[in-house]
Amino acid sequence: MSETTVDIDIAALRRKQPRFRGIEAGHRACLGCGQALAARLMTEAAGPDVTLTNATGCLEVFTTPWPESAWRVPWMHSLFENSAAIAAGVEAAYKMQGRKTKVIAMGGDGSTFDIGFQALSGALERGHNMLYICYDNEAYMNTGIQRSSSTPHAATTTTSPAGKARMGKRHLKKDIITIIAAHHIPYAATTSVAYPSDVRKKVRRAMAIEGPTFLLIHAPCPLGWGHEGNLTIEVARLAVQTGLFPIIELERGQLANAMPIRDPRPVTDYLKVQNRFRHLFADDLRAKEELEHLQALADYNMETYDLRGEGPDAMDTEAADTVKRRGTRWA
Amino acid sequence: MTTLTRGAYAHPETSLDFKTGTWRVERPVHHHRNAPCHVACPAGEDAQAYLASLEESGPRAAWETLVAANPLPAVTGRVCHHPCETACNRGAYDESISIHNVERFLGDEALRHGWDYPGIPARRDGDAVAVVGAGPAGLAAAYHLLRLGHPVTVFDKLPVAGGTLRTAIPQYRLPRDILDREMERILAAGMEFRAHHILGRDVSLAELQAEYPRVFLGPGCQVGRAWSVDGVTPSDLHPGISQLQEWIAVGAAPEARSVAILGGGNTAMDMARVMRRAGTKEVHVITHKAIPGPGVPAADTMPAIEREVRQAIEEGVVVHEHRGVHRLILRGEKVIGVEIVHMKKMVQENGRLKRIAFEGTETVLHVDQVIPAVGQVVERHGLGTILAKGRDYLQADELGRVFQHPKLYTGGDARGDRGTVAEAVGDGRRAAAAMHADLIGVEPVPEVKSQPIGIERLNLNYFEHAPAPEEKVLPVEDRGETEEIEGGITARQAAAEAVRCFSCGNCFACDNCWTLCPDNSVLKTRDVATDGTHYVFDYDYCKGCGMCANECPCGFIEMEPEG
Repeated sequence: MSETTVDIDIAALRRKQPRFRGIEAGHRACLGCGQALAARLMTEAAGPDVTLTNATGCLEVFTTPWPESAWRVPWMHSLFENSAAIAAGVEAAYKMQGRKTKVIAMGGDGSTFDIGFQALSGALERGHNMLYICYDNEAYMNTGIQRSSSTPHAATTTTSPAGKARMGKRHLKKDIITIIAAHHIPYAATTSVAYPSDVRKKVRRAMAIEGPTFLLIHAPCPLGWGHEGNLTIEVARLAVQTGLFPIIELERGQLANAMPIRDPRPVTDYLKVQNRFRHLFADDLRAKEELEHLQALADYNMETYDLRGEGPDAMDTEAADTVKRRGTRWA
Repeated sequence: MTTLTRGAYAHPETSLDFKTGTWRVERPVHHHRNAPCHVACPAGEDAQAYLASLEESGPRAAWETLVAANPLPAVTGRVCHHPCETACNRGAYDESISIHNVERFLGDEALRHGWDYPGIPARRDGDAVAVVGAGPAGLAAAYHLLRLGHPVTVFDKLPVAGGTLRTAIPQYRLPRDILDREMERILAAGMEFRAHHILGRDVSLAELQAEYPRVFLGPGCQVGRAWSVDGVTPSDLHPGISQLQEWIAVGAAPEARSVAILGGGNTAMDMARVMRRAGTKEVHVITHKAIPGPGVPAADTMPAIEREVRQAIEEGVVVHEHRGVHRLILRGEKVIGVEIVHMKKMVQENGRLKRIAFEGTETVLHVDQVIPAVGQVVERHGLGTILAKGRDYLQADELGRVFQHPKLYTGGDARGDRGTVAEAVGDGRRAAAAMHADLIGVEPVPEVKSQPIGIERLNLNYFEHAPAPEEKVLPVEDRGETEEIEGGITARQAAAEAVRCFSCGNCFACDNCWTLCPDNSVLKTRDVATDGTHYVFDYDYCKGCGMCANECPCGFIEMEPEG
């Protein structure tokens, strides 16, 4: 009963998949990598006529171990800090050549929130017709799980270890989307790999807009967060359902849309499945305080973005991933 | 090729040269498991399968899937106690799929459009089989024997087919035109029907056995069990089953102002409701067991179908649970009342359950009629020594082979351990398969009851809450002798039920695994793969992360340790 099919030519089948393959198998991401999934979903929606730039980071490393490449669209990497800058240059060159090819700059949270931030800010300010995508796994995973300015409060990393002195990271997760909104760009949004339809929809929306757009995709890192690879979607979903990672859309810096949370879950549901928050469940008064702090941060998000749903809604956290026979729900 | 002076380049998708499948320590596999509804169905129906057919290919395909197990869906959809719905995993999420209503809808559609049974070979050159009794067990056996290529002759004492469906189920539960049309179709499937044949009068078992290499006995239980209170019986005693049969056949019910019906089975409930319809003001049902409901242990629940008990109570029947009759109060030989007492089965020191009457709880119920409905037994006439002395029922193994008579098979009520139409249909089907194996010289094997897939193996995040359909039910004041109480569901409602089905243990092609694999290692096929799905794992690249298995809504993907 456990035999899968044998008489299908798998290599031929791979080439006949009814979706665009921007990134192919054989890449060396860890088991259950959220970023690999996010990048795959992104290219499916962005389609073949794109050029990608990639900051230094896991995605760059695991897709292009020389002399191989997993990419099937033009892709280039230069440095950690300049993904947005080279994308801006490519966009200017295409404009000169009269080409309509969309340029997408990609980076992790390290290159986006920290190292490449001024290049990103500059590109947005100059109004290049490009989409910037940040895969947010909340630490420098490629170099060994160092804290970034995206690492959530109280998470343990190799440079913000939980111990006698501190309960993990002392500082807060940088509110990047508000900073992006301050650039007054036409479209900025957040999404999560737990909601593939939402990811694709927002990529398509951003691609269709003339001008700079920004997308933040929450993508769990099983290794860095400390959960099994098969739980990536579950963990990502809980981040949304608890209110710790709000799914929102901003048009010209104004809140235009938020995914309502139908049944908000306590933050502990999200935290307890990850080793990076394990110290918060120790018998320690500081841990109890930090749990309350994280719950307060989730509650703050709920209020700020008015996330609490008012009864079932086709676009809320429970309905947005509903599946149907024959895959009719996935868009 | 342009020469790049700085940096490096690589050709597209060359990563395919690197087989990440070598990293794997566990592999995902497709694993079909039986849905709970399928395992729970006494008739062997696979509701999950026909709900899937309904959504994919429409009512006719669904009906054809359904009648592969049960030829009488318009009947069972109405009268069955649907244990499938009790087992349904959706029940623990919001509300069970209304499987009986879908079954009924499909059965009615088939009658409306005159669909013929699929899968009955035109040439039936197997050995001939005789079936005694044209009730649900006999007809199901005959139908499945036809499918397996055997000529079948069905004998019944009545002029028409139907057995207990016709003689003991009131019309408000099973309208006669539905029954007639279902009977017409099954008889037209190719069996020979000999009416007016009473076993032991018009044909003997010895004659049947001489002519047919195998005989199926489906006589049902037509005789009320003997009953008395300490040896006392009233002079005008008629058992419930014969009164019920009489009312259904000719519309005559005993005249009484108040009546006590003893027993907690379907006959008792039907008789109680019939007495209400015949104008009896006070109808009391006295049962040792409890009214069915949540939290009541199965062993302590009245054997009657919960829905029937509920409707009877709605119609004014008073059910006295955990009561027994202590004494009949007679004037001369006529009943004027019964003394009833609180009773419950209690565990004794030897571990057995014993019915205990609690002293000091005796009360008197003033009634002018007592109708015992304490069970029925097989009519002995014509069975000779097959029905052993002192026994009320035919003794048979799980396949239906009568003990010590390997060429005789039986099923349905006559076994004594059954009691529902669906069980009778299942017995008929199993016996047909066993007779077929037997006749072609293969040792028949009992069906293996597989473990159903539990709700913990499903990923409920991918389903939305949705209520079960509302069915039209005749208000109590409009209920009469013939008009059907339950109105069934519409085509639209049936289709919605198919969508609500969790598809437990079976792929429903939702694309989740294909959409969520980070490694492009789930491939989609237009053709159906050999395991019946539209997805193939590419083990050259699958790293075995297990995300597909964790996110499969249906529990269809499992992780197995690598070699």
